[in-house]
Order: sequence, then structure tokens, then C-alpha cells
Amino acid sequence: MSTTVISESSNNSLHPITAQLVGAASALGGSITIICPGGIGATDAAQISGVSKVISVEGGCFNTYDCIAWSESLSPLVKDDLILSSSSAMGRELISSIAATKGVPVVQDVTNLAEGLLVTRSIYSGKAIEEVRISSPCAISLRTNSFEAAGGGGSAEITTVNVSRDITVAVKQALTKAGERLDVSEADIIISGGRGMGEPSNFSHLYEVADALGAAVGASRAAVDTWDDIPHSMQVGQTGKTVTPNLYIAVGISGAIQHLAGMRSSKYILAINKDPEAPIFSVADYGIVATWEEALPVLKDQLSEILSS
Amino acid sequence: MAYEALDFYDIDSLLTEEERMVRDMVRDWVEERVLPNIEDACRDGIFPDEWRVEIGEMGILGAPLKGYGCPGLSYIAYGLICQELERGDSGVRSFASVQGSLAMYPIWDFGSEEQKEKYLSGMAKGELVGCFGLTEPDYGSNPGDMITRAEDRGDHFLLNGAKMWITNGTIADIAVVWAKLEGVIRGFIVEKGDEGFSAPEMKGKHSLKASVTSELVFQDCKIPKDRLIPGVKGIRGPLSCLNNARYGISWGAIGAAQSCFNSAREYSLSRIQFGHPIASFQLVQNKLSWMLREITKGQLLAYHMGKKKDDGSWIPEQISLAKMNNVDMALEIARMSRDIHGANGILDEYPVMRHMANLESVKTYEGTHDIHNLILGRHITGIQSFTREP
Amino acid sequence: MGVAVLLKQVPDTTAKISVTGGRVDESSITKWSISPYDEYALENAIKLKESGYGDVVVITCGPARASKCLTEAAAVGADKLIHVVTESGSLDSIQIQALLSAAVKESSCDVVMCGKQAADTNSGSTGPGVASALGYSCVGAVTEVSIEGNVISATRLGPLGLEEVEVETPCVFTFDKGDTELRRPNVRGIMMAKKKPIDSLTSDDLGVDTSNSMVSVESHSSPPEKPPGQKFVGAESVPAVVNMLRNDANVI
Repeated sequence: MSTTVISESSNNSLHPITAQLVGAASALGGSITIICPGGIGATDAAQISGVSKVISVEGGCFNTYDCIAWSESLSPLVKDDLILSSSSAMGRELISSIAATKGVPVVQDVTNLAEGLLVTRSIYSGKAIEEVRISSPCAISLRTNSFEAAGGGGSAEITTVNVSRDITVAVKQALTKAGERLDVSEADIIISGGRGMGEPSNFSHLYEVADALGAAVGASRAAVDTWDDIPHSMQVGQTGKTVTPNLYIAVGISGAIQHLAGMRSSKYILAINKDPEAPIFSVADYGIVATWEEALPVLKDQLSEILSS
Repeated sequence: MAYEALDFYDIDSLLTEEERMVRDMVRDWVEERVLPNIEDACRDGIFPDEWRVEIGEMGILGAPLKGYGCPGLSYIAYGLICQELERGDSGVRSFASVQGSLAMYPIWDFGSEEQKEKYLSGMAKGELVGCFGLTEPDYGSNPGDMITRAEDRGDHFLLNGAKMWITNGTIADIAVVWAKLEGVIRGFIVEKGDEGFSAPEMKGKHSLKASVTSELVFQDCKIPKDRLIPGVKGIRGPLSCLNNARYGISWGAIGAAQSCFNSAREYSLSRIQFGHPIASFQLVQNKLSWMLREITKGQLLAYHMGKKKDDGSWIPEQISLAKMNNVDMALEIARMSRDIHGANGILDEYPVMRHMANLESVKTYEGTHDIHNLILGRHITGIQSFTREP
Repeated sequence: MGVAVLLKQVPDTTAKISVTGGRVDESSITKWSISPYDEYALENAIKLKESGYGDVVVITCGPARASKCLTEAAAVGADKLIHVVTESGSLDSIQIQALLSAAVKESSCDVVMCGKQAADTNSGSTGPGVASALGYSCVGAVTEVSIEGNVISATRLGPLGLEEVEVETPCVFTFDKGDTELRRPNVRGIMMAKKKPIDSLTSDDLGVDTSNSMVSVESHSSPPEKPPGQKFVGAESVPAVVNMLRNDANVI
């Protein structure tokens, strides 16, 4: 089956997910064409191993993002039976519109792709896994880091196509988001501190990690009750907020039953505590027995390294 | 964890779409507004004024009354509203009970056309708060011997006496006050600011801390003649109000019990002792099973009572049974739930001790548990045993 | 003129999901709700109506139970209710979008609003798909809109960050959460809602062929059990744990 991959870009260069999309397509066999909207990353895309062709699509409409103008420009260039994109917000939106324009069905945020076109995705916020059979021609968006990336060393031919459509969505101005911190009730990642942080001012170390992760900062009741500087709105637990983030990092929190009641349904829990017997370790997927003074600097460095790569 | 109200016998399937929607609206409000703030309100001993505004905006006050801007819902819907409010806190349900059943109802049923027009729609919106003055310092279970008096002074009435244990008293704009006029119990509408009227708040409660409880004091209180509620004479007036309020309490108690049951269930599943969740121990399961059994019976009682209220085929003794049974059941469940929570049960992290303390009041007001037994005793035997006189 | 809001009824996000016989057991789901992002679409549609822009027409596509979400929408101010009756989970995206587009045409609304994705599948295909099917413009991840004449300005989270954009009608907007506070229903709204008729339409009524779905569910399963927790000693284990969070748990 031949595949068209819609490339993903960030900061004006090719996003690494693009190589993962190619990796997923390669496993199905057939030729692989990458379409680079706005021509971004076309040279890098050509070097991904297994790619037969890169179409660098240049046109005025790619200077700003207008899902319909983009999909109308790109759709005529898609000739293959399978269309793949990333499942980023823009990836989903664009592939939905391309699929609708071409009259083919789309399945989003797929984590496994097998022949016969059998795809796997998680539904109900991860509470169930769905396996779907989809007949081609069709469009599928893939979840980041779920597929092995194709290697480098390719040398696909790059064709530049000039095509554009009228922009109907005019960007008037960029807005800056007010510097408000994320609330624990709406964050995908939460890092919480307990009385083990010693002083409320030490929460600054939690904020540094939170900034690296785009996380919200929470607290145990012990911390909220002990320190006036830690507001009740940060409290996670029985009388605070009940949270279910993808990742909950508990630092210096022993894990009283009232705290566990508010966070034990988190998808993954990382606990950092110096007491190896702390009850928080009983609910943690990953436990690190260490003081926060030792662990947090390493955590911050590791995260900045891994997230910048 | 999402709140799943215990509904073992699927009462939900007996409700109309409208009743379910009203219930869910109140449930969501309690979840968003009451539960996160109730402990602070109790600590401060206040009924937050924004709750009054929001309850008014929901349009649930005086739920079963029709016309004059009142909601006109079924008695089942009224019951469900009480259940959800009291799942939050008995004090919140008390606010609504007093406003709707004790202050709006007598105006609606016995008031003059002018009184209805003047007060009801504002009260339904929560813009005017009402209270109900029946109980006196020395006359609780025996209101018939009240000493508050009204005198006809030609162009006005003069009120003298005092009422006690009056929910909403200090925050009320109007009070429906029962007093003897020429020896006969009559209802009067007293407005905040009337000369000789004051409503000092009673402090120091260990129960219903998020509810305002007051005295009403009348010292040569002058009220215009058109404030006499014309349509009822004798003890029947206040008692008919109490019937509606007691009916609502029979549902409210279920809400408090559901809250205590849920907390006990969740706690017992997560609390590990002797290497196992305590929910796996037979003595704990026995308690949980008893709670489920009693709540389920209480629900059926309240639901059927509601149907009888809706079709008019009820007698007051049936309401006595429902109020008495359901509050008793809820209080026992609160105490049992506290047991299951162990020492943690005394903390404000859990709603249990608060409900328990509240329910002590609920068991006492609107006819004590024992008085309801006497009402039933009279019904069964035909012999009244309230007094020693024949 | 008018705003069509596409609502999807989903299991409440806090509902327990159980799988029996290779399928999610829908009958065990105790609470169904309007998908949360769709609620923001509805709220913004009602605001637009209050600023004078036509009626709010709510449209849902789903089995009989889905009509409840229309009544809920009516209780907070939706004017017209359209239920496109289909069987649960049997259609592909093209068919669903064709049905919804046909219903939008029938409503003659030139503004369409929906959530940026539904809470059950988290797909986000419907908004842009319907826009393409109808030939409308599309603005995604919007948090606020206001209208002047036929120009709508919207705040969206675009690929370059938060932006203010302008677009002419007809247009589809998909909504993110934002700061918009959702209105609560009240008794009067609920009583009026129950009197509001629901226009039930079938695929035949709308002239859409739904016979050959290109997508079929093979199976549902419960997510694999997480492995038991692992405990490491010392800050030197942090890099290994970070790697596991990224590669095994896939959460950072």
C-alpha cells in the first residue's frame, strides 16, 4: 500500500514525529510520499530512509494557519490510499479536513497500525482500548512516540509545487497568555509538594520542574495547613481537589490516606521521598528514595535535556 | 471520584425526565459550590449569601407551589431537591425547607391575594428571605400553649413575646409568626425593620453550623392590619406547614445518609489494616450492608410518600413515619460511618462527623423523633399520650 | 443566520468503563453527558444569540439516549433541537459528517460550533470535516468569539500560540475550554425544555447513504494492567526513571 505522509513541523523545521510516521508506513510496504506544507523541512524529509518522494508545497496560504485553505491546497496532491499525519492538534485538524475533502474516513490518535488496516487507539481517556478495522483509502493520525522512527540516509527526490488558496481566517494579532499558572484540576502533569519540602519558599524548585514540563504545582494538606503561602486552591486530596493527570509527581509527601484519595487515580505516579517506608510508595509506579534537594536538580536537568532534543 | 448516589432499587427509573434534570442541576450545584466551601462556612458559622442568590437563580425555592412566580414542580422533585441539598449539608437544606415549606407555603395557602402578590415571587427568587416563628423558649413540642400574643389596637396589631430556634431568622426579610389573638393561634407577617422587632442570632451551636439560627423578639411590635394571614385559625395553620417541611426532611435525610455511606465505602476500600482493605473484613461489610438496606428502605418510603403528596391521598401520620424513620436511619448511618472511618472519621476531611452533628438537630426539629412516635401511637390506638389530661 | 451547535453525548468523564465480550458495555455506564468541550461551544453559541445573532440550533447524531443532551441544551437556552437518529458507533467519519452537514443545511445556520474533540474518542475529526463538507471556513481550538456584521473575531490557540483571528461567515468553530463560565440551568429552563419538540431525522430523511461504513470496531479491551511499582534508591536513579516515564509510560 502506498502512503502519503503529511509532515509535521515546529519552529520552522521538521518535527521528529515525521520520521515516526514514515516508520509506521514502511512497516506496511509500498511507496512513501511526504508532503511538506509550506515547504518546511523538505530537505530533512528527503533524508528519511524509505521515502520515495517529497513534495514541497509552497504558496502564500502557508504563511499563516488556515486549516481549510491548507487542506484544499494539499488534497489534490494526495494520490495514495493511505494518508498519515501526526495526532497533534494541528495534525488532526488538517487530516480531518483532507479526509473530508477526499471523501475518505479518518481514524485519529492511533497507537498501533497493522496490515488489513487494523488500528489500535485508546478511548474513554485510556479506560478502554479499541481495535478498528478500516478499509483504504483512508486517513489516520498517529500518536507521538508510539512508532519506531525510520532512520536517516535517504535521498528522495524533492518536487516543489506552487499552490495556494485564499486565506479566510485572518490573524489580527498574537495574544500573550496571562502569566497564570495552570490549575491542578486541568493539568496533564502535576508536581506536588508536601511538608517534606521544609519551607514554602522551596516550592520554587517544584515550579522550575513544572515550567519545564508544562505542569501544574499542587500541595498536600499538610503543606497548605502549615504554610500560609501555599493556598488551598493548590491542595490535592480528600478536601482539596481530586485529580487524574497522566503523571503525578509527589515530592516530600508521605502519602496520608486523605492525600491518596485525591491522586491515586492518576495514570502514572512518581514519588520522591527520603523515607523508604513512606506510604506514598505503595501507590507509586516509580519511586525514588532520595531527598528532594538531591533529586529535583537532577530531574530538572534531565527534563530540559530530554525535552529540548 | 465521581459521586454515584446509592440507588440500589433503581428509583431513578421511576422519575420523570424533568425530575431527573432538576435533581442533576441541584447535584451539580452542590458539588461545585457547597462541597468545596462547606467546611469553611461551618468554621465561620455562616450561611454564605451567594448560596442564597444561586439557590434563588436555580428557581427551586417553594418547589411544589404553583403560580405567583413559584416553580410548580412535583413533590417528588421537591424531595429530590432536598435530598441533593442535604447531601451537601443539612444547613443548606434547612435554608430551602424553611423558605419554601414554612414561609412561602402559609402565604401561598392561607395568605390574602395582596400578600401573595407582594411576597411570593421575590421569595421564590431568593430575593426575599423568610423565616417561621412557632417554637418558643418554653414551648417546643407543645406549641399550642405558646405565649406570644397579638392584640388588636384598631389600626394595627401589637405583638409581644419571643420565638427561639428560628432558622434564617437574622437574615430574613420577613417572618411568618404564629401568635395568639384573642386566644386563637393566628399567623402574622412581620417585616424586618418593623418597630419593636429584633432577631438576634444564636451562637455556639455544635450542629447546623452553616445555618443561621435566631431568636425573634417582639416588644410592643407594631404591625399593620393587612399582615394578618387571613385563611387559617388554630394550630392547624403551623402544623400544615410542618407537614410539607417534614416531608422534605424525609428526603433530605437520604442525601446525608448517601454521603456518609459513600464516604464509608470509599474509605474502607482504601484503608489497609492487617494487610488488607478494611472493606474485606466481615464486620465492616456487615455495616455497609446495613447502611445499604436502610437507605434503600428509606428511599422507597420517601418515594411513595411523594407520590401520595402528588395525588393528595396522604395523611399527616404517614409523613411522621417518613420523617422519623429516615432521620433516625441517617443518624445511625452517620455514626456507623464514623466508626468505619476510625479516628479519621472525626476530621473535617470527611463529611461524616458534620452530617452526624447536623442530624442530631434534624432529629429534633420539625417534631422530635419521640413526638412522631406519639403521633403514630395516637393513630394506632386512638389514645393521645401527649398530655396527662384526657 | 443562526448558530448550529453539534453536541455529542458521551459517558461522563468520571464514569467507569467496563468491557464484556470484547465490547464496552454501554448498559453499565450510569451517566451520559454532553461532551465537555461541546458545552463550551454551546455556551458561546448562546452568548452569540444574546448578542443578537439568530437562534441556537443544537444537533446531535446518535442513538435514542442521545436526545437527552438536546433537552439539556434547551434548558440553558437552545431554541431548536435536531436529533439525527443512528445506531451507536456504527458509522465512519464521512457518514457522520455527511449527516451532520445535511442537518446543518436543513437548519440554514451559517455558523457552526462544536468541541475541539469529543471526550470518548478524543478524535476531533467532526468540526474540520463538517467545514470541508459544507465548504465553510474553519477555526479550531477557539476560546472566545464575538460578532460584528458577518465578521466573527475569535481567540484561538493556533500553532504559533494564542491569536486573535477574524473570519467571515459561514464558518465552523471548534472550542477549547478557555475562561468562559458555563451557565447553570434553572427550573424555568428545564420546564420549558421538556416542552420543546425534538426534530428526529433519519439518514433517509437527510438523503445520506449510511449503508457501507468503511470503519468497523473489531474489539474493545481493558487497558493492560500496569506493572507493579518500582522503587529506586538515590538521586542517581532519576535519569533512568525519566527515561521510563518517556519511553514506557509515554507521559512526558
